[in-house]
Amino acid sequence: MIDEIRFTLNNSEVAITCDPLKRLLDVLREDFGLFGTKEACGEGECGACSVLMNGRLITTCMVPVGAVKGKEIMTIEGLRETERGKTIIEAFADGGAVQCGFCIPGMVVAAESLLSRNAKPTEDEIRLGIAGNLCRCTGYDLIVESIKLASERGEGLW
Amino acid sequence: MVETSYIPQTLEEALRIRKETGAKPLAGGTDLMVMHRRGTGVVPSFPWPVMIISSLEELKYIRREGDDIVIGSGTTCHAIEDDPSVPYAVRTAASLMGAESLRNLATIGGNVCNASPKADLPVPLIMMDAKVTLVSATGSRTLLLDEFITGPKETDLKDDELLLEVRIPLPEKDYSHVWYRKIGTRKANAISKLSLSAAVTLDADGFIKDFRSANGASGPKVARSTEVEKILEGKNVTEIPSVLEQFLDAYDAILSPHAMPTYRRLSTRRMLAHFLTEVASGTQNMIVT
Repeated sequence: MIDEIRFTLNNSEVAITCDPLKRLLDVLREDFGLFGTKEACGEGECGACSVLMNGRLITTCMVPVGAVKGKEIMTIEGLRETERGKTIIEAFADGGAVQCGFCIPGMVVAAESLLSRNAKPTEDEIRLGIAGNLCRCTGYDLIVESIKLASERGEGLW
Repeated sequence: MVETSYIPQTLEEALRIRKETGAKPLAGGTDLMVMHRRGTGVVPSFPWPVMIISSLEELKYIRREGDDIVIGSGTTCHAIEDDPSVPYAVRTAASLMGAESLRNLATIGGNVCNASPKADLPVPLIMMDAKVTLVSATGSRTLLLDEFITGPKETDLKDDELLLEVRIPLPEKDYSHVWYRKIGTRKANAISKLSLSAAVTLDADGFIKDFRSANGASGPKVARSTEVEKILEGKNVTEIPSVLEQFLDAYDAILSPHAMPTYRRLSTRRMLAHFLTEVASGTQNMIVT
């Protein structure tokens, strides 16, 4: 008998009974209907499936849901309800960071991870912070500028 | 139904499961989950029972014991790069292993036990004569990491054993110069095409007391030869230019003859020549970049 796997998802206690080796990515999308977490490469190269686990950036395509037992997961759906998340998302919209949008949830989560450790990052630090996230549309400059904008507008939030 | 996956809560439980079922450990998952993936919405399929050991807090530590830095096998690369007590070359290798999201998951135990010839951490670890401690339900043993990794993706891990920790002996005297360099196609998430770590200890008169270097991604396992290192030991830094070619030729001979040899050989020569030239230039106590 497979045990229930309990964890915190976007500040709510949740439980799921499934194969512990099922990817967290598939659990988030299929079982919890959180489609903001995207799958692109499926092998940890692109960052589209990024979420925060206990406040740290991870790619959910490489994590079996069994490894999430007792942990706190924050997806883009949870993040966008917070002041910090709203600030980043608005800065992305105002800064023209978004073209097709597929990489953006991962970029926003990576930006939150970066800003929570370094509230005033330099351009190089921002580029390093999103180094694991691939965008095939905009060429990164507008994303980098938008993260800079978020860090200025969000003074005191991080 | 036969259970195919386990989530032990303690090391003791993990060792019991390992002994009874032969289940193989899955730590960060960054290698195994990708290797066994089957696509969107399909649960990865492993040809063996798996135990997820990433929540074993007992395996997450970095501490000093006597003259050793001891790193628990479940310690992530991020924790290693963040800890100033970890030797520079190991910290640097950990920090260059992939994007932050990967380094938050990947563990030193996984990197060592996966035993990829392109693995990053074993290069500085083997350079520093690191040892591994393996535990089973009935005992433990410690051996050199260089002996534990027996070939590409092959280790001496027994069916009932788990890797407990990696033990790095600190040098008696701090290295005068230390270097780690990784060559990959992308800054984040690149698999090493070639990596090299080197260190030298000089005495007050500029004589080389200790020289060591190791190469990754250039053979079936990390390349290191203490015989070749002896060519430089005892020499004065002023003699480096005159023995450099002899040393580089001897070092070249320990690299694998396979897999793009020209590129790797040439790059290795140039990296080592760069490092030794920096050493010969006389600046003391520096990290070579």
